[in-house]
Amino acid sequence: MKGHVVIAAAAMVLLLTGCPSLRAPPPTFPESSRGSAGTAQPPPAAATQAPPEVPSRPPPKQYRLGPASSALVAQAHKQMTSGDLGLAAATIERAMRIEPDNPLLWIELGRIRYTAGDAGQADSMGRKALALATGDPQAQSSAWHLIADALRALGRNGEAAEAERRAGSLTAH
Amino acid sequence: MQYRRVERLERPGTYREQGARLDIALRPAQFADEARPASILTIATGSNNIESLRDSSGKDVPIVRLEPLLIGSIFPIHGEDRIVVTPQEVPPLLPAALKAVEDRNFDTHHGVDPAGIARALWVDLRAGQIEQGGSTLTQQLVKSYFLDSRQTLGRKLREAAMAIALETHFSKADLMNAYINEIFLGQDGDRAIHGFGLASQFYFGKPLAELDLSDVSLLVAIVRGPSYYDPRRHPDRARLRRDLVLKLMAERNIIQPADAQAAAKKPLGVTAKPSGTYYPAYLDFVRRTLRRDYRNEDLTGEGLRIYTSLEPRVQDEAEHALEHELERLDHAHKYPDAKLEGAVVVTSPQSGDVIAIVGSRNVGYDGFNRALDARRPFGSLVKPFIYLTALESGRYNAATIVQDEPVSIKLVNGKVWQPDNFTHQTYGPVPLVRALAESLNLATVHVGMDIGLAKISQTLQRFGLPRAPAEVPSMLLGAIDVTPMEAAQMYNGLANGGFKTPLRAVRAVISADGKTIRAFPLQVTPVASPETIYQLDRMMEQVMDRGTGKPAHAVLPPNLVVAGKSGTSSDLRDNWFAGFSGSHLAIVWVGYDDNMPTGFTGSSGALPVWARLMASLGTTSWNAPMPESLAQAWIDFPTGFQVDASCTADATPIAVPAGTQLPMKPGCGAQQSNALESIVKRAGEWLRDIMH
Repeated sequence: MKGHVVIAAAAMVLLLTGCPSLRAPPPTFPESSRGSAGTAQPPPAAATQAPPEVPSRPPPKQYRLGPASSALVAQAHKQMTSGDLGLAAATIERAMRIEPDNPLLWIELGRIRYTAGDAGQADSMGRKALALATGDPQAQSSAWHLIADALRALGRNGEAAEAERRAGSLTAH
Repeated sequence: MQYRRVERLERPGTYREQGARLDIALRPAQFADEARPASILTIATGSNNIESLRDSSGKDVPIVRLEPLLIGSIFPIHGEDRIVVTPQEVPPLLPAALKAVEDRNFDTHHGVDPAGIARALWVDLRAGQIEQGGSTLTQQLVKSYFLDSRQTLGRKLREAAMAIALETHFSKADLMNAYINEIFLGQDGDRAIHGFGLASQFYFGKPLAELDLSDVSLLVAIVRGPSYYDPRRHPDRARLRRDLVLKLMAERNIIQPADAQAAAKKPLGVTAKPSGTYYPAYLDFVRRTLRRDYRNEDLTGEGLRIYTSLEPRVQDEAEHALEHELERLDHAHKYPDAKLEGAVVVTSPQSGDVIAIVGSRNVGYDGFNRALDARRPFGSLVKPFIYLTALESGRYNAATIVQDEPVSIKLVNGKVWQPDNFTHQTYGPVPLVRALAESLNLATVHVGMDIGLAKISQTLQRFGLPRAPAEVPSMLLGAIDVTPMEAAQMYNGLANGGFKTPLRAVRAVISADGKTIRAFPLQVTPVASPETIYQLDRMMEQVMDRGTGKPAHAVLPPNLVVAGKSGTSSDLRDNWFAGFSGSHLAIVWVGYDDNMPTGFTGSSGALPVWARLMASLGTTSWNAPMPESLAQAWIDFPTGFQVDASCTADATPIAVPAGTQLPMKPGCGAQQSNALESIVKRAGEWLRDIMH
């Protein structure tokens, strides 16, 4: 009976029924800026004016965290304060399993990596957040701030200054 | 999870339903990052959603975790899986019942029990058949541990000697616990069910501690002959023996006769199928991950807990989709004697979590794991990486006209390579998006030779191809051997916006006292710009809408946006389909183990498996935000001319760098009234594009 390793499946929020309704409702609202391309249906005529159309930018969005993610982010902040960065990161990853496309969570995780001294990952997570944050100047600005900090820690001061400038220009208006 | 419905909540693992309100007594659970005590959760439901989650004090609960499912145990020595239980996890009835039925003098004998043998002999003689064995629990344990089951006198004597030796070294409590964790209780294909912990999951789908009197009695009944008393195959026999066990327990005053009678009235309560908690292909991947970091000796530390990313429901759907579709394909097939094989890997693209692995259509079989070990030609699955490299060059976009025309390439060895299209036809000038969607070989070779093999090789390796491919032109049609897992790693980068994330099955290894020994944190590395990946992914969306992936839409939920690519190697030996939604990436390979041609393509072989699986997952649409430097355009799919979206049924949306000028289809352009001049100018550009 000696020496066994127990394997447990991931503690997932929804293991039991796989019932999506157990999940807190996804709170973010990034609507597709395009029509349902799955059916390749033509967009409304108004959208076809310029060749190729430069879609009139939708009003800026603002990402928020859902209730489950909010609770987890709060928990991660506590864990960070008590110095347990590994645990804090695992907690943010839990939130990401619920909202994988929320840039705010990628910024949170990037901040933890930055604090842990992993500027390379902090930079990458900032860029991932940036890609997801399209249309949300606030989130884009936070992502650029993270990237700037990470680049500075990597000694890439010129790029860091440029990132800082972009962060600033997004919040200016 | 086998929570039991009750009238009054009494213990963990039960629930009570009262109209729209559900009270659940959650089991205590140990997670990778925290322990949760047993607790009560109240769910208020609406017509088809959840209104609220509250704890026992009425406070809102923002998030609830279901306890991790135990999916197996690794014994480095035996190489088999068990669910080891501690004495505290054993219902007290179990040892009492075992003693009553199997070994009355267990507490006092020294390993063998002459009185027991005599009694058994007497009972058996009277009955004219073997009803009682004379072996003590200790002897049975020895037999199970060390010896084969031949009934010879020599073996019996050795068994007795070893039993006596065991008794001198270990306490009765230790021996009972060893027995409970060791004894053979059933067979599941090639897998032996040892120990009551695993047997409880195997027969009832719940932890040993939650079994009631009737359940415990059935397991004790099975000890005598797991095959003869198999409750699924021989329920009547099993029931008779269970009732005998109940009667014996009442006779020995372990339980009240009334309880015995009540329990005897209950059905056997076994699940219809062995609970699907045996995933050998997935465990294999976990074992290999750990072996990378640990030597076998280090893994023998007792009580290590390994938390994995497996999603049992997705795993079950993947197994089901593969089994079902291969069965269908076998029937439709020209080699009635040969059996198709297959493999499936499913990931969660943003986290890199591997959530399901199927290594064979024979899913419970711990044999050749095709998902990890079948290295087969990539076929047309290589094409997205070629087109991505083309987009990165800045000289191509989705509407760029490429030539699908015969090509001859002189190879280093002097031979001439003349690839052909799958249909043996040529299609002339086509836009890039169509060349990808219809998987045109000749157009792809033209693009690939223009871009350069070295650049394409770099792209492949950036996305995770672990070996440098031979830089020969046939590489452009997928003459590169990869395993389904490697394909999953590479496609994960396409599904994750150009970020590479090492695929992982293990989240954390936790010591017996709850400390994290090893974590596998999420890592991302940008391997392509968000802009080029977005353009490519939109093209892969057209594979599904207008190209080789189109049949999937008959199966998928309406309006679900997915992107993918089919692949077929030469002579139809390998069928691939790789594709993703917003939350799942799935890779499917179908072929014969002996590399025989299958007679069908990626679209007819692997695609049905993929589509059936994706349709079952309740997955979300692929819906990445379009980078601000890109714009959407509509083109005529056959010719690549820009069109007004409502002008033709062939109008196809693509993403191109903002400001890209596209030639317009005469009579169908979006801005015909605008300026003849500009059309002339663009036509000139278009001609230049064709020329180069």
